[in-house]
This record gives sequence, structure tokens and C-alpha cells, in this order.
Amino acid sequence: MSADAQPAQYRPAGTLDLSTALDEYRGQWDSRRAAHLLRRAGFGGSPQEIENAAAAGMDTTVARLIHFGADQLPAAPAGDISYDMRATGDKTQRRNAMILTDLWWLDRCLRTTDPLRERMTYFWSNHFTSGIGQKGITPQMMVDQYALFRRFALGNYAELTHAVTADPAMLHYLDGIANRAQHPNENYARELMELFTMGVGNYTEEDVRQAARAFTGTTVDRFTGQSVFNPRFHDDGRKTFLGRSGDFTGDDVIDIIMTQPSTARFMAYKFLRAFVYDDPEPELVNALGDRFRGFDYDVARLMGVLLRSNVFYSQRAYRALVKSPLEVTIGAMKTLGATEVGARTLQAMVAMGQIPMQPPNVAGWPGGSLWLNTGTYLARLNYLNQLVSFKPASSDQMTTMAAAQLVAPPQGVDPGVLYAPAGQLSSPQAWVSAAKPGDAHSLAASVLELVVQGDATIEQQQDILRYIVSDGVGNRVALNGENFEEKVRGAVSLAMALPTYQLA
Amino acid sequence: MNTRRQFIQQSVGAFAGFLAIDSIFARAARAAGAVPSPGSGARTLLVVNLQGGNDGLNTVVPFGDPDYYRVRPTINVAQSDVLQFDRSLGLNAKLAGIKALYDQHRVAVLQGVHYPNPNLSHFRSTEIWQTAAPETIIDTGWAGRYLDDAGLPKSNLFKGIAIGPILPKMLVSNQTDVPTVENFKTGAFKGARDEQASADQILNGAGSDYAVQSPYLKLVQEIEHDANASSAQLPHLVAGYKPAIEYPQTPFAQGLNLAAAVIASGVGTKVIYVSLGSFDTHANQRATQDRLLEQFAGGMKAFYDDLAAHQLDGQVLTMTFSEFGRRVEENANRGTDHGTAAPMFLIGGGVKGGIYGDHPSLSDLDFGNLKWHTDFRSVYATVLERWLGVQSAPILGGAFDTLNFV
Repeated sequence: MSADAQPAQYRPAGTLDLSTALDEYRGQWDSRRAAHLLRRAGFGGSPQEIENAAAAGMDTTVARLIHFGADQLPAAPAGDISYDMRATGDKTQRRNAMILTDLWWLDRCLRTTDPLRERMTYFWSNHFTSGIGQKGITPQMMVDQYALFRRFALGNYAELTHAVTADPAMLHYLDGIANRAQHPNENYARELMELFTMGVGNYTEEDVRQAARAFTGTTVDRFTGQSVFNPRFHDDGRKTFLGRSGDFTGDDVIDIIMTQPSTARFMAYKFLRAFVYDDPEPELVNALGDRFRGFDYDVARLMGVLLRSNVFYSQRAYRALVKSPLEVTIGAMKTLGATEVGARTLQAMVAMGQIPMQPPNVAGWPGGSLWLNTGTYLARLNYLNQLVSFKPASSDQMTTMAAAQLVAPPQGVDPGVLYAPAGQLSSPQAWVSAAKPGDAHSLAASVLELVVQGDATIEQQQDILRYIVSDGVGNRVALNGENFEEKVRGAVSLAMALPTYQLA
Repeated sequence: MNTRRQFIQQSVGAFAGFLAIDSIFARAARAAGAVPSPGSGARTLLVVNLQGGNDGLNTVVPFGDPDYYRVRPTINVAQSDVLQFDRSLGLNAKLAGIKALYDQHRVAVLQGVHYPNPNLSHFRSTEIWQTAAPETIIDTGWAGRYLDDAGLPKSNLFKGIAIGPILPKMLVSNQTDVPTVENFKTGAFKGARDEQASADQILNGAGSDYAVQSPYLKLVQEIEHDANASSAQLPHLVAGYKPAIEYPQTPFAQGLNLAAAVIASGVGTKVIYVSLGSFDTHANQRATQDRLLEQFAGGMKAFYDDLAAHQLDGQVLTMTFSEFGRRVEENANRGTDHGTAAPMFLIGGGVKGGIYGDHPSLSDLDFGNLKWHTDFRSVYATVLERWLGVQSAPILGGAFDTLNFV
């Protein structure tokens, strides 16, 4: 995989049983498996969501995830976000618009009642990549593109490929607006084949040139911001593409691409890497790809199979993926009962190596081991520590999503408070409601259940316990009403520093 | 006692006060012991990635070739703007800082560099430059392989450093975890005092009886350990350094400032990586490329002035690369599409300044792209053998001719 900077050494140990891998899982169902499903099919479950899923059973939970209902969340950010990012203008306003748009998206991830829809939106945004603020892409274009991804979240992949080809943000990002018969621009044609559909090795440089000609003529109307087809700029001549000849349009090229077995397999690889484990076995990729083609690229059916499958619930898939910064931040907020994202969330995600809506390049975030290095690791720990410790002083000091406060804190207000990691959290007592009062052992167990579903070694359990019962300089302390809240916060923060917490 | 509340205000409100904040890793820092003193003759390689495919023709401008103005009718650099090396070749005007270093004989310009069967994909071509493997896909980077075999003690956590949020593939290795550092503000885990003892144990120890068998578990534990140790050491390393000049307020120049601090610490860092971009100028190239070249030149000039003031400029070799140059003919959007050969800059007190190799022909082309004549692996071989003093063939997977720029 040329586009894939991911080292190929993170396939789980053990062997795949291909004959049963995609069959429906009928094994044990408990909160650990429910939490696994909600980490992969969303951004992590709240304690209540995990409990509900554990009680409802696997099949019902997957069905609920896939058949989502009407959306109650804001369809667009509040405030004016539409203008040309390249225009010379008020830089503060531009920055605010991007921040507002990022926060709007993070807020959806946090508060949605249909996590798989937002999760698939994230998947598509990291597949059919674009970048807010890049190449003339306005926040409004990005919001519109995410609306497209949300509409097609579990829709038909072939139809989505047609639709995204005419998406204004995409037309900007990969120079479709510059692709004219007189001067074909190969950027979109190349990335469509290399990264969005077939993968390298399944087409020639000549195919790229011919496809670029077929895509000519679609551009973005400067006044409406909508895509338009201008026949004057379209090359309606004969093209030869993947062995077929005709007066092809871009849609014809996509239809031909969708007949290639490599397309379904390339997508199967991407689904497996996103939802199951890295470096999936070629036999598994091929088997899932064949299903996908058999389903006529119906993503809902594919995800229905995948999220119910033996391989998905196997030990080999458990904690086998590295959480992205998005999963770390939203997941932690859900664990802690946050009701609102904070401006600091964005700053933290940047430090962790992920700027929302701005993948590093057209191949998207490579993920896996590349999320983790010494710098991003500390950024994770520091953000989580800050989040767990956060106690808003008063509502007027809290960060809200009001643009004015995002860049210019009122005089006298400590920016450390203003740039809050989240809105209100639920109380530390509520995080560990199962713990027995005054019992350090049950508190440690409760914290580890809350944060890592108990996935800790004996040594780590003892470290947490030791923290709860000591003052850090060798004195034993009793757990009491006075120190309880601080000890809960500290223990949760330490548990979030565990290696297992970094894994989805 | 320091309450958690105060800590939030300190650590967020006063980011810049990072060095003053008690580190949760204080114990690890003590365990790391004394910092090595600057060794004479210690050599460092700084690699600058001009990411996105920098247009070579508007960087090192062949203004004496009439074909240049023919193929670049709207986005050319006017002859009067070129910082001229001679009667045919010169630098983009935004590279004044590089020209100043060139005039001090500290810059070698290598022309026409690329590799066989050029790949026009950003990702594959970047990977090729970073792994030094055009024909095969391999997991390690060329500098990572060098660090594995450089004979440096395992305890040295700063053999290599990547400045920025991401570890580049160039520095991926089998045995060396290269720390990535964003800036001076990047700090250790900050927590309340009563967490520190437990945090030390949790971050350093692990236990082994995991019920979980994740393929990533070992990696996470190693990174956690190294993050712990290196973050504790970095502030001590750079504490004695004061920049001799003021660096430009660009992220690139600030990254070079950090690189200078690490070099001045004498910890023995062999390879530092920093990137600047994106140079992917499919449209309206001049504005974007000029802005980036200005950042590049301004940063490099400040860096070498600072190093010279610390008498370290002879110890640091800078090498630039970009995944490819760009198409010879400009496109309809005042931009250029992906291309092939491009120049590289080698900068430093140890460099034999000058122009190396001919400028590739603008009329004898390979499907609209420049023909390369120097394999980048020859440049790497030269850096490895003549600068870092190791055998290059095992690292590059074959023998390549060396050049004379150092």
C-alpha cells in the first residue's frame, strides 16, 4: 500500500480462522465486549451506554447502531462561517470561523445519540479527504461535505463516490475546478484511483491521463458555491480507460472503476483497518471485499456483517487499534459525563497530532503506531489529566462556543480557565457510584472498570490503590469525605495514563 | 500544598513557564544522571523536508535559459529578481538568507537529483526518499537504520529528534525510539504532588500479566517509558542555552531554534528532522512558494548565525529534500503539477560551497518532466560516509558513488 505509511508489523498474534471469521458471533456478551463495540462503532460509550448495550445484547445493539433515527443536533455551526479563506480579511474572524466549525463537529461526536453515523462521517472524511482552510475551502464547504458524508454514512459507496466527485470542497482540494479540456489537471483522477477506490498497481499513468480528461468541466460556481458542469470545459472526445473506449464522462469512469474487483478489496482493507485490526490478512480482505461487491457496495449491510462478526469480537481484535486523538478526547469526555466540548479540546488535539477537519495530506491520517510518539503521548496524558481535574469556577468564566471568547478572553479572566477542556462534567462521585464508601479497594476497582473495563495488570491495580491510600511522600492516608473527590480525580487520571487506555 | 486547581492555571495559563514547573518525572531525570558535555567534533545532520513537492525551477532559477521563460510565462522569476550565482543560474529572491550563506561558501547546490522510475504520488515518493528504497516498500527509514547502527549508547534518548507532531518515516527504526518535540513548550506530564509517586510507577513499570494481547501494547509501553525519561531530561539539556540572535516568529524557525538548543547542549544528537510546507502548488504557485521559501531562508540564516555565535556552525550539516520537483510547463492555474528532478541544498560550515551538476535541460524532457542525473542515494551515501563517518552500503542497501560537497 503506497499510500499507507503504516508499518506493516502490527497484525495481531495468532491465526485467523477464515472459515468462521465473518460469521455471526455467538460467544459471551458483557460490558467489556459492549465497550469494545462502542469504541469501534462510535467514539466510546458513556458508562450508561455501555451498561445499556451489555443488557440489550449484541444483535440488538448493532441493529440500533445501524438503524439510526432523526438527528436533533445542529446541522451547522452557529454564526457566519461563509467567506473565501484566501481572501484578505479579518484574520481573527477567519480563525474563529474555523474554530467554530471544528467545535461544531466535535460537539456532534460528543452528543450524538447515533454514534455510528458520526463515526462513519469521520471514516469518510478520512477516506475522501479535504482540508478546511486549504486551497480555498471555506468552513461552509466543509460543513456541506460533512453533511454529504452524514447522508451517505451507511449508504451506497458507489453513489457516494459519484457524489463526492462533484462536491465543492473536493473540487477545490484536488483541483477539479482547474480541470479543463484545454488543460487537464490530473490531481483528482490520480487520487481517486490511488486512494479512494482501487489502490496503486491497478491502473497505469495513461489511465490517469485519460480519466482526467473525462472529469473535465465540473467546477464550482463562484457566486452560489455549488458545483456546476460547464460543457465548454469538458473534453467530450474518445478516451480509453482500463481497457474500454468511449466518449467517457467522469461518471462513466467511476462506473468502470466500480466493476473492478480491486475496488471492493481496497475498501475492505480500509474498513478492516478502521474497525477491526491493522494489517489484516489478505484472505480476510478478499473475503470481505467479495461480500461488499455482492452487497452492491451497500455499506449498511457490510457494517452489519462486520460489527456482528467473530473476527470483530475475537481476542485478536480486542484493544488491537490505537485510539486517534479524536477518540481519546471524545471518549474521555463521554466517560466523565461531559455535556459540552471546550475550546481547549482543539488545542489538545493539535498537540496530539490531529487537527480536526485537516488531515495532513490527501491520504488522510495514517493512524496506528504513527499516532504515538513521545511528544503526542505526553500531550494525551496532559490533556486527560487536565480534563479530569477540571472544575469550572463559575458559568461566566466557562468556555462556551461563543466566538468572541475563543480568541480574546475578556480582561482579567485567566485564559487557563477560559480555555477549558470541556464544559461541565458529571461529579466524581457519579463516576464511581459502584464503589463502597471508604473502601479504597473497591474505589480502585471502580476506577479501572470505568476507564479501561478492568484491562490492567496486578501491578497497575496496586499502583492505583497505593495512590489512593498514600499522600505521595510515604504517609498513609484514609479515604474520607474530605479527600474522596480529589482521590477519585487522581486515580482516574492515572488510569487514563495506562497503556491499555491508549488502545481502542 | 499545591492544589490541582492551581496546577491547571499554571500549566495552561502559563504555558511558557513550563521549565519552572515541577516535573512529575523528576525522579527519572535524576536517574538519567549528568548531561554529557559538548564534545568537539561531534557532528549533527539536520534534514529539512520541503514537504509537498517544491518546484525546483523557481527555487534555483535557470534564468539564462530562454526556455525557462517560455515554459513559465506567468509564474517565472524575473531575471532582475534573481539572486544570481553566475550568468545563467541564481536563487529566487526570497532566498536571500541562503544566498548570504552561499556567499560565505557554506552552501552546496546539487542539481538534477531524483531516482530511477520517478513516482508522482506524494506518499509513495515521500516514502521512497525517507526509506531510500525506490523499488521496495520497507518499514524503516534510512536515518533510523543509521541510528540503530551508529554505536551510540542505548541510554541516550536523543540520538535523533523529530521536531513537529509526527515521527517521519525517515526516523522509524527497529531499535531506536526517536522523540518528537514540538517546541520549547512541549512538556512533561503535569500532575498534583500526591500523584507523582504513583505516576512514576505507573509510567515506568507495567507488569506483564495483561489479559490483553494487543499488537500495540509493547510499543505503547516503550513510548511511555521513553516519553517519561526524555521529557524529564529535555528541560535540563536546553536550560543552559541562550539564542545569540532572534529567530523569526515562524514555526519553522522556532523549530530550528529548538534544534540549535539541542545541538548546543552537547547531548550528542546525530540526526534532527524538521519540515516545512506545503509546497504542493497546483494553483497560484508564486504566492505560496515565495512565502515558504522566505520562511525557509529566514530560518536557516538565523539558525547558522546562532550556531556560528556558539561556534557550532562547523558541526552541523543541513540537507534539504522534497519528494519531487514539479512539471516543467506551468498549468492553466498559475501553478505546476507533480514532477521529478529538483535541486537539494547542503548547508553548513563543513560544506564545500558551490554548484554541483548541470541544470537539467528544459527541452529534453521525460513526459514533460526534467531528467535527473544524480541519484539521491549518492547524496545520502556522501552524508553517511563523509559526514557521519559510517559505511553507507548496509544502510542504503547498496553502494552508491559519493560526491565532493563535504
